[in-house]
Amino acid sequence: MNTTLQKMSRRTEPYILGAIIALSLLIQARSGQFFTGNNLVDLARSMTVPGLFAVGAMIVIVSGGIDVSFPAIASLSMYITTKILLAADYSGPVILAYIIGGVLGLLMGLFNGVLIGYFRFPTLVVTLGTSSLFIGIMQGVLAARELPVPPAMFDHGTAKLFSAYNTQLGLSSDMPVQILLLVAVLAVTAFLLRSTMLGRGIYAIGGDEVSAKRAGFNVFGTKMFIYGYVGVIAGIAGIARACMMRNAHPTNLQGIEMIIIAAVVLGGTRVTGGVGTLTGTMFGMALMTIMSNSLILLGIPTYWQKVFTGAIIIIGTGVSARQAMAKRAKPRKASPSPSKAPQSQEASK
Amino acid sequence: MMLKKTLLLMLVACTTFAVFANGEGERQPKPESEWKIALVPKDSTNAWFVRMEVGVKEFAADSGLNAFQKGPAKTDAAMQVQVIQDLIAQDVDALCVVPVDPAALEPVLGEAMDKGIVVVTHEASFQENTMYDIEAFNNADYGAFIMDNLAKAMGGEGEYTTMVGHVTNASHNEWADGGVARAAEAYPNITLLDSEPRVESEDNMERAYEKAKELFKKYPNLKGVLGTSSKDAPGVSRAIEEMGLKDKVFVAGTGLVSECRPFLESGTLQYITLWDPKDAGYAMCSLAAKILRGEEVADGLDLGLPGYENMQFAPGSDKVLIGSGWIVMDKNNMDEYNF
Repeated sequence: MNTTLQKMSRRTEPYILGAIIALSLLIQARSGQFFTGNNLVDLARSMTVPGLFAVGAMIVIVSGGIDVSFPAIASLSMYITTKILLAADYSGPVILAYIIGGVLGLLMGLFNGVLIGYFRFPTLVVTLGTSSLFIGIMQGVLAARELPVPPAMFDHGTAKLFSAYNTQLGLSSDMPVQILLLVAVLAVTAFLLRSTMLGRGIYAIGGDEVSAKRAGFNVFGTKMFIYGYVGVIAGIAGIARACMMRNAHPTNLQGIEMIIIAAVVLGGTRVTGGVGTLTGTMFGMALMTIMSNSLILLGIPTYWQKVFTGAIIIIGTGVSARQAMAKRAKPRKASPSPSKAPQSQEASK
Repeated sequence: MMLKKTLLLMLVACTTFAVFANGEGERQPKPESEWKIALVPKDSTNAWFVRMEVGVKEFAADSGLNAFQKGPAKTDAAMQVQVIQDLIAQDVDALCVVPVDPAALEPVLGEAMDKGIVVVTHEASFQENTMYDIEAFNNADYGAFIMDNLAKAMGGEGEYTTMVGHVTNASHNEWADGGVARAAEAYPNITLLDSEPRVESEDNMERAYEKAKELFKKYPNLKGVLGTSSKDAPGVSRAIEEMGLKDKVFVAGTGLVSECRPFLESGTLQYITLWDPKDAGYAMCSLAAKILRGEEVADGLDLGLPGYENMQFAPGSDKVLIGSGWIVMDKNNMDEYNF
């Protein structure tokens, strides 16, 4: 019992969950509108696409890399897909959009993978480069402009699982079907990370690449898989985004990578690799989403909102970093396995 | 050494010839039917400037003059200089230019003016080498115009707030300030939401949508949103539609028909405001023709189309002419606009 408590106190999730609860109560106290069905649906909706991105960003960070190209991959996949479907006057089911978007994402992801896995270039530099390359293709080659989405994507974007009503204010909110996509990606990724050798390999490489190689993991293959998989997630997230916005905007995802990476780190994923959980990542993303969608509810003036957001990120990541440092100071106690790899919180569960 | 001298000699010969050929800026008087008026947009493929060309053609048809549009294939200052040089070589009589980068065009426009070519610009109020610069409107007046439309939608009463791309964006905030000033002076029953008078949409339709939803939850009495960025009106409309607030909450602001069509059709959004590049194209050609005819350019100048029939000089300027060339688009006239 005592050891479970000790173990819990060393994890990041309980702290971040505490922060979410505290922030929620504060918003509820200030506005009376936090714990209403429609507000919670609104938040789930706002978290859908960033949540997908966060899963991808977390896998890369766990493997010891950093990827800033996923918004560009998402934008380019989404834009090409929309253009193809519009040109073909497509009116069939929306699944084709996801397939095209996913395949395009996969190709771009594998391109990252080759540069990182085969040529062993630093991940940040590679993904910064491919990011401008993909945006450049969109703006230069495709002369991208905003496009309306084809009917299949429009209908998919307006589809809802259910509506939440707020009788007090006479408001309603629709739960978008795209939330199922996030649930599915989370389920697949959780299985992958917990129950497959490939998943263990991702943690192992992030912990120590040389040890992972000596332990028999195929480092190149694993890296190709990581960047390909993250490319697919980015591709379908781009499609989901365009459907939900009912508009294919070539550049409006740019800049989202910083918020996503901050959320992943906030959720306890260690920037140096090897440690991170999906639960923590989703908690981190939830905290960021609640914050960026509640500043008006909190009554913080527009001019001060960035200061508030920055403070939360610094405090949050600071707490995570301190946790990590405390753990490294007592490695034997923190990790039951004597070798450094695979050393993960998933493993110690 | 020899080569250098030859080159220098050739250069001198060319320059001398050029000076004589052009007669030191004195142009031969030509009959009107031989005038060539060229409009150089930033980018000839962009939908905005494709629309501008419609105005140029309309002017040519109305006036019987030879007015045409010729621009670079993409938004590129160097390519625009090239196009202007080609037009000078083709002996045009007037150049109407929408500069990509006003500073980069100073030398070539100076050269054109030295040769006696009439130069008129648009959206370049700090251009030095131009005879006149046409601006569609003054920012505060445009904001007041948005407010008039919002007030009409709100039925003349209720609480409203303003939305801008970023609080640091100069023109959005000047429009919003103009709207607030208009409401204070003309609509006694319309009040600004004191606790949140200005919110940011980050020029992003998704953020405009999210911020609007927050506003409607926090302030149930809010009845109107004055949008400035072209993403504000469609984003807020989507929130109004989804939250079931249609006919209870209203939004007006800058918008493009291409993005707002479904909301205009459903009636969630009644008015979007904009300026029409077609009108600006027509006005520029019209002004160039007036200068060529030697007509006087003064306050109250009429360029022959709505919004540009009473042009005024900007305070303290004898170059910048300001019109009231905004337009409002609604369900009934939106099909006339292709942007």
